Amino acid sequence: MAAVGTSVPRRDGREKVTGRTAYIDDMSFPGAWHGVVVRSPVAHGRLKGRHLDPAFDWSQVVVVTPEDIPGENLVHEIIKDMPLLCDDEIQYLGEPLALVAAPTKDLAREAAGYITFDIEELPSIQTLKEVIAQYKTDEGKLHKFCAQTIVKGDIEKGFEEADYIIEQEYWAGHHEQAYLEPQGLVAVPGEDGSVLIEGSMQCPYFVALELLPTLNLPPEKLRVRQAPTGGAFGGKEEFPTWLGGYVALMAMKSKRTVKLIYDRHEDIRYTTKRHPSWSRYKTGFKKDGAITAVKVEFFLDGGAYGTLSSIVLARGVLHAFIGYRCDNVFIDGRVYRTHSFPCGAFRGFGAPQAIWGLESQMDLMARACDMTPHAFRLRNAVVPGDTTATGQTLAECEACGTVLERTLEKCDFEAKLARCTRGAQDADTWYGVGLAFFAHGSAFTGDGEARFKAKAALDLALDDAERPVVLIRCSSVEMGQGAHTVLPQIVADGLCADLRFVQNPLPDTALVPNSGPTVASRTTMIVGNTLYGAGRKLKAKLEAYASARFFESQAAILKDSVFSAGHDRVDFEEVALAYLKEHGPVRVEHQYELDPKIAWNQETFEGDAYPSYSWGCNVVELEIDRATLQIEVKKVTGVFDVGRVINPMLAMGQLEGGFLQAFGYALLERIGVRNGAYDADRFQTYIIPTMLDAPPFDFEFMEYPYTFSPPGAKGIGELPIDGLSPAVANAIEMAAGIRMTEIPVTPESLFEALRKQVKS
Amino acid sequence: MTRLDTMDCEFPETLADALELMADDTTRGVPLSGGTDLMVQWAGGVVAAPQRVISLAGLPELKGITLKDQCVVVGAGTTHAELRASEVIQARLPALAAAAATVGAQQIQARGTIGGNVANASPAGDLAPALVITGGAVVVAGVHGERRVNLTDFFKGYRSIDLRADELIVRFELPVNPDGSREMFRKIGTRSAQAISKIMAACRIRIEDRTIRSVALAVGSVAPTVIRLTELEAWLTGRVCDEDTIAEAVRRTVSAVSPIDDIRSTAAYREWVSGSMIRGFLDAFFNAEARERR
Ligand SMILES: Cc1cc2nc3c(=O)[nH]c(=O)nc-3n(C[C@H](O)[C@H](O)[C@H](O)COP(=O)(O)OP(=O)(O)OC[C@H]3O[C@@H](n4cnc5c(N)ncnc54)[C@H](O)[C@@H]3O)c2cc1C
Repeated sequence: MAAVGTSVPRRDGREKVTGRTAYIDDMSFPGAWHGVVVRSPVAHGRLKGRHLDPAFDWSQVVVVTPEDIPGENLVHEIIKDMPLLCDDEIQYLGEPLALVAAPTKDLAREAAGYITFDIEELPSIQTLKEVIAQYKTDEGKLHKFCAQTIVKGDIEKGFEEADYIIEQEYWAGHHEQAYLEPQGLVAVPGEDGSVLIEGSMQCPYFVALELLPTLNLPPEKLRVRQAPTGGAFGGKEEFPTWLGGYVALMAMKSKRTVKLIYDRHEDIRYTTKRHPSWSRYKTGFKKDGAITAVKVEFFLDGGAYGTLSSIVLARGVLHAFIGYRCDNVFIDGRVYRTHSFPCGAFRGFGAPQAIWGLESQMDLMARACDMTPHAFRLRNAVVPGDTTATGQTLAECEACGTVLERTLEKCDFEAKLARCTRGAQDADTWYGVGLAFFAHGSAFTGDGEARFKAKAALDLALDDAERPVVLIRCSSVEMGQGAHTVLPQIVADGLCADLRFVQNPLPDTALVPNSGPTVASRTTMIVGNTLYGAGRKLKAKLEAYASARFFESQAAILKDSVFSAGHDRVDFEEVALAYLKEHGPVRVEHQYELDPKIAWNQETFEGDAYPSYSWGCNVVELEIDRATLQIEVKKVTGVFDVGRVINPMLAMGQLEGGFLQAFGYALLERIGVRNGAYDADRFQTYIIPTMLDAPPFDFEFMEYPYTFSPPGAKGIGELPIDGLSPAVANAIEMAAGIRMTEIPVTPESLFEALRKQVKS
Repeated sequence: MTRLDTMDCEFPETLADALELMADDTTRGVPLSGGTDLMVQWAGGVVAAPQRVISLAGLPELKGITLKDQCVVVGAGTTHAELRASEVIQARLPALAAAAATVGAQQIQARGTIGGNVANASPAGDLAPALVITGGAVVVAGVHGERRVNLTDFFKGYRSIDLRADELIVRFELPVNPDGSREMFRKIGTRSAQAISKIMAACRIRIEDRTIRSVALAVGSVAPTVIRLTELEAWLTGRVCDEDTIAEAVRRTVSAVSPIDDIRSTAAYREWVSGSMIRGFLDAFFNAEARERR
C-alpha cells in the first residue's frame, strides 16, 4: 500500500497541539548564562570609541567586542560585506556593536546600559522611496549591492511592433515572517574548544559551515543541532547564522553555556524581513492582445548589507515575466542599500514582489486593448513547448495555462465579471473579482542542484525497544511545513515498507549528511527524491540479504513490508532484525542527480532557470463598503499544479496558510521605517490576519508530476504566496474603478487614491 | 518578563479593605482587574512594572449587573463576556452589549473588565462611546466615601480621568435606553478580531414622525478622549431627519472631530469615516422608523 498520496496526519501534530513540544527556550540548560546584544542607536555613523562605565562591576559579566572574534569579523553569506559585530562604519540602527553575557538576563541588560559609544553620525538614506527618487534624478550617489539582467530578443523592435505601450510603477513594502516562535539559540562550549549550537533554524549546515572562518574553528569543532522549530518562513534561513555567531562568541569567551532568545519585540525590530520592491513595467502589445515587448525595472531595498540579496534578486527577475509568451524581454534587476535592517529570505524570495507587478500589468494591458482579463491571459499563456524569458523550453510535465482554464471554469469567472460594480456611484457596496496566473520555479536556480550535490541517508538500526527502525538522515528540517511527515511517506514507498518503520529525528550536523538548506520549495521535491533513492538502495540491500538468508538464494522482492520469493514470505521486521543481528546498523546514502538536460548560464541568465515549475491561478472576490472603504475578501478560488501531491491534507494546509500570509501582505501588514526604526514593531501595531479575517478558500490540485524525480513532487511551499496581491488589486479595480499600485492596500490608501481621482 | 510572583501582591476580600490599602502611601498599589491592559504594558516596557499590586478580583462589591428603576447598575469588575451575554444589557443598553462584543476576542473578553477599560483611559477604549451616550455616571470610592461623576466629565483628556490615587471605580449607573428610542454602535478596527479601533461611534436616538426628538452621539479615537457631539445633538434635536439634515450632520461631525495620523490610520480617513458613521446611524434609524410607520 502506497503512503504517497494519502493524508497521513502530521507526525508531530499531537505533541504540538497539546503543548508538549519543548522548543529551545523550554529546554533545560543548567547553569546557562543569558546573552544580550548591544546595538547602535543611530542608522548611519562612524564608531569612534567604546566606554565601559567603571561604576558597574564588570567582573560579574562577560563582554564581547569585535576584538574577541577569533577569525574574520565577517558573516559568510553570498555577498560578504557584513561584519558580525560592527567596529567601524555603522550601517543601520540596531547594528550589533557588542555582546554581554551574564548569569541572568536582567543583569546582562543592566550591564549593557553601562556601555556607551562615541559615534559620529552620518547622513542616511532609509527607505526605498528615497532610493527611487534619487535613482530618477542622479543614481550615482546610490550604493548598489548587485544587479542582474535578463535579455531576450530585441526590446526596441518589440516596442516598434506594438499598437499600445503602457507603463506603470508598483510598490511593495516590508513583510515580517511572524513565525510563532521567536528566534533563539543556545551555545554550549566543550572542554576541547569545540562549540555546540542548538536552536530554532531552517538550515543547520549554514550555521555549521558559514561560522567556521569567523570563529576560526575546524569543521569537527562546530556542531549544530536543530531544536523543534515553531515556524520560520525564511526568517530562520540566514538569520540564525548571525545569531549563532553572537551566542557562540559569548560561550567561547565566558566558557559557559549561553542562551540568546529574542522576545517578540526584539524579534520584529531586529530580524530580517521581505525586501521592499519597486518595479516599473513598460509593455507593448498588439490590438489582438499579443504581447510584443516587456521591459521591467525590478529594484529591491536590500537594507544595510548585501547578505543574500543577490539570490533573492535572481529569483525576482526570473519571475518578473513568467507564464506568458513574448519574444522581446528586457529585465533590469538591482538591489540598493538603505540604512535599515538588512532584508532577507521570506517565503517566495523575490517572486511575490515580481508577480505583484506583472499580474497587475496584465490587467492594465487587457483593459487597454478592450479584452477581459482572462481572454487577454489565455491569448498569451504558455503551453508546453513554448519558451520562457530565459529561453527555457517548457516540458510536458508543466501544467502551464491549464490551471488558468480550470480556475476560470471552477469559479465561473465570466459570470462574476459581469457583476462587478466598477466604481458605480449608486452602489452601497462595491463588488469586484480579480485574477492572477503565475508560476514558481522549484528548487535552486538553474543548475544549482547539480553544483550543490544534496546528500541524504537512511540508517537501519534498532530503536529503544529493540525493534528495527529506518532513520532518515538529512539536514532538511521540520519547521511546521510537514517535512517530518512527508519525507517518511516518500521513504516508505521507496523502500516498499510500512510507514511505521520510518522515523525522522531532528538533524544534527554530527550525524547527518548535507541535504542542503530547507528553502526554495526544494525539500519534498529534491530531498524527497534523494531519500527515495536511498530507500531503493536499502531495499536492494535487504532483498539481497533476505534472498541468501531466508530464500535459499532465490531472488527476493520486498513489497508492502513483506519479502517474498516464489510462495515463501518473510516479513520486513524479521529480515531487518536478522540483518541487524548479523551486521549491526547500516547506512545507505544517496545523492541527488539533476536532470543532465538542464543547461544554465549563470552570467547571462540564459537557459533552464529551474528544473521544473509549479503553477497556480487564483481568483479573488471582494466587497468594499462605500461608507468605510473596508475591503472584505469574500472568497478565493484557486487551482494549483505542484506535481505529485504527497500528502493532500498537508498540501492543502500549505496552500491555506500561505494564502493567509499573502492576504496579510496584500491587505494588512504595513511596516514603515521612521528615524531608522520600524514603526510597527509589536503584534499590537504589526497587523497580521486572524482566523476571522480568513476568507473561504476553494482550492484544488491538478497533478502534473515531475517525471524526472520520483515520486514526482514539485515545489509547494512558496507558490501560495505569489499571486494573491495582484488578484486583490485587480478585483479592487473591478469593484471601485481605481488601480491600486502599492501594497498593502488599506482603507486609508484607497481613500487617498479615490480622493485624488475625484480631484483630478 | 514581568511576573506577578516577583511583585508584592495584595488580595483584599472586601471593598473596604481594598480602599484601606489604597488610602495609605505605604500600602497602596496599582489596582489590577483583568490585567489585560496592565500585563501587556508591563511586558512591553511601556509602563514600568510596579512594586505593589492590589488585586480587585475578589471584591464582591464590584460584581453584578442589576436593573434599578430606569438605571442599569454595572459593577466595575464586570467582564466584557458578562456584558455581552447579559439579557439586561442586551435589551436596555444594546450599544454597550455591541461594544463589549467587539473587544479583542473571547479570551480578552473573559478577563477584561468595564472598570479596567474606563480606568485605562485609552482614546481607543471601545466601551467609552457606548457609556457616554447613556448620560450616566460612574461611582468611585475612597476611604472617606463615594463620589458620583457624570461619565462625560469623567473622561478628562488624553489618558486622563477624574480619579484620585486613593480611589477605585466601583460601579456604573447607566440610564436605560427609553422605550421608542434606539441605540447603535459601530467600530472600525485594524482587522476583524483582536483589533484596536481606528475609530468607533455610538448613538442613542428617538425619532417620531420623521422628527428627531432626542439624540446622543459619541465618537472615539478621533480626539484625545471620547467626545460627545453635543453641539450637533442640539442642532439635530427637533429637526426632520431628511437627506438635507443628514448631509449637514455629516459636515458638522467632520468639523467636530480632531483626529491624528498614527500607526493605525490617518487623520484624513478618520475624519471622513466619522461623518460616514453618523450618516450610517441616521440612515438606519430613519429607515427603521419609516418602516414602522408604514
Ligand atoms: C489582545 C488584546 C486585545 C484587546 N482588544 C481591545 C479592544 O478591542 N477594545 C478595547 O477597548 N480594549 C482592548 N484591549 C484592552 C483591554 O483588554 C481592555 O481595555 C480591558 O477592558 C481592560 O480591563 P482589565 O480589567 O483587563 O484592566 P486591567 O489591565 O486590570 O487595568 C487597566 C487599568 O485600569 C485600572 N483599573 C482596573 N480596574 C480598576 C478599578 N476598578 N478602579 C480603578 N482603576 C482600575 C488599572 O490600574 C489599570 O490602570 C485589548 C487588550 C489585549 C491584550
